[in-house]
Amino acid sequence: MKYKTDSARLNTTISPLSQTDATAANYRKRNANLVPSALIFAIASGVLLSLVHQGNHLHLIRTAPPMVLGVFPLSFQCDGLASLFMGLLSIILISISFYSPSYLNHFKDRIQMGGYWTAMFLFVGSMYGVVLSADAVTFLVLWEIMSLSSAALVASDYSHRVVQKSAMIYLGATRIATALLCGGFLAMHAVTGSWSFADWTFSSSSSYVAGCLILLAFCIKAGIWPFHIWLPYTHPAAPSTVSALMSGFTIKIAIYGIMRILVCGGLNSPEIINLALFLGAVSTFWGILFALVQNDLKRLLAYSSIENIGMILIAIALGLKAKLAGLEALALVAFVAATFHCMNHGLFKSLLFLCAGTIDTQAHTRDLRRLGGLAKQMPWTAACFLGGSLAICSIPPLNGFASKWLIYQTFFKTTYETSSYLDRGIAFAGICLLSVVGGLTIATFVKAIGVSFLGNARSKSAEIAREAKLGMVVAPLFLLIVCVTLGVGAAQSVPFIAKALVETPGLQSLASPDQLQATVQFPIPMNMIALSLFSMSALIYMFFLKTSRTRKYSTWDCGFGTLSTRTQVSSDSFAQPMARIFRPILKYQAKLKIDGDDCRHFPEKVNVEVQMVSILESRIYLPTLALISHASKYLAKLQAGSIHLYLLYVCITLVVLLLVGVHL
Amino acid sequence: MNSALSLWLFYLLCVVFAPILVLGTIRKTKARLQNRIGPPLLQPLFDLVKLCRKSETLSKTMCGIFRLASVISLADMLLIAWIAPWLCYKPGPDSADIFLIFYLFALTRMFTMLGALDSGSAFGAFGASREATLSLLVEPAALLGFISIGALTGSSDLLQILSFSNAQLSGSPGIWLLVGTAVLLANLVESSRMPVDDPTTHLELTMVHEAMILEASGRNLALIEYTHALRMTILLGLSVQCFMRAIPSIWNAEPAVQGLINLTGIFFLAVLIGIFESISVKLQWRKVPEFIAYSLTMSLLASLIAIGGRAMK
Repeated sequence: MKYKTDSARLNTTISPLSQTDATAANYRKRNANLVPSALIFAIASGVLLSLVHQGNHLHLIRTAPPMVLGVFPLSFQCDGLASLFMGLLSIILISISFYSPSYLNHFKDRIQMGGYWTAMFLFVGSMYGVVLSADAVTFLVLWEIMSLSSAALVASDYSHRVVQKSAMIYLGATRIATALLCGGFLAMHAVTGSWSFADWTFSSSSSYVAGCLILLAFCIKAGIWPFHIWLPYTHPAAPSTVSALMSGFTIKIAIYGIMRILVCGGLNSPEIINLALFLGAVSTFWGILFALVQNDLKRLLAYSSIENIGMILIAIALGLKAKLAGLEALALVAFVAATFHCMNHGLFKSLLFLCAGTIDTQAHTRDLRRLGGLAKQMPWTAACFLGGSLAICSIPPLNGFASKWLIYQTFFKTTYETSSYLDRGIAFAGICLLSVVGGLTIATFVKAIGVSFLGNARSKSAEIAREAKLGMVVAPLFLLIVCVTLGVGAAQSVPFIAKALVETPGLQSLASPDQLQATVQFPIPMNMIALSLFSMSALIYMFFLKTSRTRKYSTWDCGFGTLSTRTQVSSDSFAQPMARIFRPILKYQAKLKIDGDDCRHFPEKVNVEVQMVSILESRIYLPTLALISHASKYLAKLQAGSIHLYLLYVCITLVVLLLVGVHL
Repeated sequence: MNSALSLWLFYLLCVVFAPILVLGTIRKTKARLQNRIGPPLLQPLFDLVKLCRKSETLSKTMCGIFRLASVISLADMLLIAWIAPWLCYKPGPDSADIFLIFYLFALTRMFTMLGALDSGSAFGAFGASREATLSLLVEPAALLGFISIGALTGSSDLLQILSFSNAQLSGSPGIWLLVGTAVLLANLVESSRMPVDDPTTHLELTMVHEAMILEASGRNLALIEYTHALRMTILLGLSVQCFMRAIPSIWNAEPAVQGLINLTGIFFLAVLIGIFESISVKLQWRKVPEFIAYSLTMSLLASLIAIGGRAMK
């Protein structure tokens, strides 16, 4: 008895203490995300402010080479192109810093925050560094830090099997990219004898191999077809902050690399340009076609990134083609289109990924088949997602339209400014491709919004989802505001980008600053369009629809009684008519199985299974991987760990070398 | 009364009444061909007025984007009517970029589809899915046609493409005919007319547009119906503009005559649609891509002319 009271007293004395301990730990845990987020915000806004402060002086820092680190001098340089990309990164980072604290709270038991933030800071720092680097070695070192830290970030939630697999696929892709990049850089060094990007020119045939290697390396990193395999694995596995950053910016770094090294280096090999054009065109179409049939929201967004990055590569290739044909003004339009689309896609794709992350944490699923009706519970996230979708579908007056219009213009001007019939035909085909892709994009994002935000909830978890915390709403809203501003102010933002490009060494030949007004124009009055659309909508609503009497009733059910959530269109059935048209590419199959004794008249169980096989993966990548691992089993026998064997190798090598030496 | 004011008045009258009369003309033609007297030409207007007096029934599932969709669609269509040169003489901005017009059409389409998905009804959603499929196929056809003429003119501005003093295109009426036909055929698909979708029958047979607007009622439905008719009229106007360029005597006619021909042309095409709808049957859904292929073929031929055209000079 006495013992019991003692223990009870003991308990009462201890428990408040342990509680405060727990809250303090909890508080510290939350702070653990708050402080690094604030730090990221400080870094990003600092960079952004210094960029803005420089104003028309875009040459921000010009650190001369001797900034010795180790044995090799690292050199950094900031010009127009670099500052554009740094600005983009800063804006995305600012929004991520709003988003991170509340978002990462949902993962506090699954992700080790120390590791996450270490990798994040390395990732952010190296991305800034890659953009700023002025020579190949600096670039490569920072590129490696970037790749490895992003792989670590992808694997942050490594308790899941899927995440482990995705991280390995991503790591594999980055290894191949780095290998190709090293090869290209070494070859270029051999040709020019310099590591500095400023000395590299790709105008002679001796540098074509290097150019091709570098292009392929960047294509892998950018997720261009047929190297896009890693994107749809990596993005769903990574935390949304990371996938927003990777899709918003890391794949753009590859585009930046192409611009910095190949475009500024004056690549003039028609074969490589045509290769880039072809790869870009295929990935545009392939990406959006696969995006349409996805059921995982983040996978859908990842495939849509492939489409957009393809479009950017097309624009770059067209610019190079125009430059080759001596059409400098057209080339400038193309490069402005590519850069502007990079910016825009970075903004709205991070917006969409952040919204997808919000859905994931609030409804606990990203599977479109289990979502639905979220707009009523999460109106702000829904509005942001809608805005981002409108932008990515290039609906005027948003920024997506502005850059898409420039890409269209590049194609359109090619149809009559070039003299070759083939190029004209290609340009017409390109316009066709872009409009088909535009239609598919609209279908894809109508599906994404309609199935996740509209209609009725398809699962319990979607039904009880609530709007996220303030930070997770503010972050996409901030990006949406930037998107709208860039779009409505396109008449200012397009010349701004053109000016920054013309100030970049290597692109100065395209136009002098005073010719700029004549070559790059944005003649569409986006601000007037936005204003008139908004005011007319407001007028129609105020004077016509607002005053109408309404009553609430259930959706028309043909008199069969209440509709269940299963009677709604599903993600698969929405995409079915389009998937059927393109089924040779998608390998789309729908299996229908009806069970029952008299199944013709009284079906008891109906089972529909939709199946799609990625040909590239099942026919090419997996067999290649199997072949390599099979071959390496034999190779492994060489390295058996036996010292006798190794001595034999040494002996054989010695003999062979001696023989070779004698003969030479 | 000065000319600018009368121009404005004429334009406003056209925007308000032309869509209604076009619908009325199609209905009247179909009725006459079926030996009926048919409703008066202004019947669509009476329908709209009646709809405006009715109250609206909304689904409990809807979030708001449903009504927003019809408002934005109408605002957008009015903006297109303001920009696009579907009438010979109208006040408006001095440039009408073809890509802008196409993407403004896409804005309406996207919101209509979202509105259809909002109620959670399978009718609306399947309608939206089919609309997405159709637009995906028909958009390249219509765009490519205009782009081909644009390539010959050297501008993506529709006003410059259509400008009468365009010497480069005076010798090639063929391309105008091709593009006009391509746009007309595309219009049949875009406006959910007969060989693709039947706007007059029972719900089970109307698969695209009527299915999407199933949940709309009252003023909301009035907005949607009017927007839809306006869209069809604008597209008809654009194909009439192309056909007019194919005939040199109209080309050189007085401005007033041209304006008159333009308007009568729109109604003539409406009668043609009425006749076509009376004698044709609705295609099976899977056959629709083949129908769109006709439109695409016209545009491809036009683009071939454009590819070859400039190089001959």
